[in-house]
Amino acid sequence: MASVVFQDVVKKFGTFTAVSDLNLEVRDKEFLVLLGPSGCGKTTTMRMVAGLEEVTTGEIFIGSDPVNDVLPKYRDVAMVFQSYALYPHLSVAENIGYPLKIRKVPQDKRRRSVMEVARRVELDGLLDRLPKQLSGGQRQRVALARAIIRTPKVFLMDEPLSNLDAKLRVQMRAELKHLQHELQVTTIYVTHDQIEAMTLAHRVAVMNKGVIEQLGTPKEIYNNPRTLFVAGFIGSPPMNLIDGEVKDGVFTSLGGIRVDGLGSANVASAVLGARPEDIHVLPAGNAKANIVAPIYSVELTGESTLVTLRAGAALLTIRADKNFVGDFDQMVEVGFAPERVFLFDRQSQDRVDF
Amino acid sequence: MAHRRKSIGIQRIAAYATIAVALVVTLFPVYWIAANSFKYDIDIFSIPPQWVPANPTSKHYHAAFVERPFLIYALNSLIIAVSTTLVSVVFGSLAGYALARFQYPGRWRYQISFWILSTRMMPPIVTIIPLYIAFNHLGMLNTKPAVIIAYTAFNLPFATWMMKSYFQDLPVELEEAAMVDGDTRWGAFLHVALPLARPGLAATAIFCLIISWNEFLLALILTLTERSQTLPIGIAGRVTQYNTYWGEISAAGFTACIPIMLFAFVVQKHLVRGISFGAVKG
Repeated sequence: MASVVFQDVVKKFGTFTAVSDLNLEVRDKEFLVLLGPSGCGKTTTMRMVAGLEEVTTGEIFIGSDPVNDVLPKYRDVAMVFQSYALYPHLSVAENIGYPLKIRKVPQDKRRRSVMEVARRVELDGLLDRLPKQLSGGQRQRVALARAIIRTPKVFLMDEPLSNLDAKLRVQMRAELKHLQHELQVTTIYVTHDQIEAMTLAHRVAVMNKGVIEQLGTPKEIYNNPRTLFVAGFIGSPPMNLIDGEVKDGVFTSLGGIRVDGLGSANVASAVLGARPEDIHVLPAGNAKANIVAPIYSVELTGESTLVTLRAGAALLTIRADKNFVGDFDQMVEVGFAPERVFLFDRQSQDRVDF
Repeated sequence: MAHRRKSIGIQRIAAYATIAVALVVTLFPVYWIAANSFKYDIDIFSIPPQWVPANPTSKHYHAAFVERPFLIYALNSLIIAVSTTLVSVVFGSLAGYALARFQYPGRWRYQISFWILSTRMMPPIVTIIPLYIAFNHLGMLNTKPAVIIAYTAFNLPFATWMMKSYFQDLPVELEEAAMVDGDTRWGAFLHVALPLARPGLAATAIFCLIISWNEFLLALILTLTERSQTLPIGIAGRVTQYNTYWGEISAAGFTACIPIMLFAFVVQKHLVRGISFGAVKG
């Protein structure tokens, strides 16, 4: 049980800066998700905690101990790799028991632990198989079992669900969350999947180009994005981001979208952000409509209908009622809730409060 | 459809014919040596050739292995080849792993690898006089260790490069997982990388074994008597200024084939996988 602290951590590969000036505290027992697109430095950050990458400058602490110069084996962390990294020449039982074998735990005690952990992840009965004889989901469980067989200070998980099919991923996600709650071990979880981040995390650190753009609870990140990147990255379908200008609290875009009631903001090159569920289809002839635009496409997802409109050069996605009926090119009037839209400055990429 | 089937039939016949020709070309000399080793001297040169020994005899085997010291040559060959192979595979694995996995500044990984391989680019004969003088000063001429050292020097670059490519093909996460699980780098190498590189070890071992078992030139210069002479030298010694003992040469030559054939047979599963390892993943 321990916190993990990054203090001014920089990681460079040659001249390329993978992680720049990272300051972050992962609290004891916290489930922290590092979220970002590929190449944003999230995996490098995790690998530095494991000791698989050296820190260029700065210091990492696990608990109160600086670990920069500590070998992986002494850091007392457990890691689940994206590829699972199961030892192909060892059976399931030997894979799971490997961390204990290395620590010279007596064989009978080791066997009991393996049995116990295997039962927990529902692998009992497969213990004599080799990894290649297992399905993807089973391999994933072996990797998990190998990580939880000892109680490490920190769990590190590098996109552990990305190789599973969609249905299994949802199931394993719930199991992972439950397991972390049960074991109460500090967890750092790397993913590029914002749904995983939203559902699993106590706090999410959204990373981009080697820096943390925003750190907060999933709710904060979703409801209160601080930068244009975070706004665009979180949410599915993503937030509508419309370029235009704001004069005295009135936003206008080239595509004909007009939103007023934005305080007294003035931004020359502004981006208006509105989540699909915060835009509403209005009855025809409504004077409050922010835009009247033709339908580009209608997709029924089951619990709602995604309506995409063509607003000038841009496309506007709206989450409408599941009973919405509309045809291609039919004109639709929509309204934005001014208190639910966000304004960003295209130049600085930052939120503009109003 | 009919046309298609016929063309496949012709292709198959052509393929079998080609294989048959290749087999005859490669296997006939082996058969001829084996057949000659069981013939009386007069039958070896009979015209028309005697394809199958008419009066099989074991007299050449007796001459080579009882009257002459071919058993000792064989033992020398075995000691030298096995020692060379062991040393080359052990150090080749270590060096290959270091080249495959460790960080080097700049282009040093490439530089060091190339330098190691470049030692194989000169013909071995240019090293013979320096080696002779060096071993002479060390008082090691006509000893098995001298031959082992010389062979290892020639096998090691090759073993290093082969093992390097096998280790490079192993996913690095497996060793990383082992290290996070509590192993040292050495432990990860020993418990994970090395067992997974078994096909590579087998392939490297058999190549080293064949090269040192068959080597002639260095052994000819560095050895003098049956204290250290190997089979190829012993066999060549049966070409004397008075007579060439084809029967004994055939008997010893055929016997010399057998250990390598047996070893290749034992490891052939690994060998085929080993050779194609780098080319086809998965």
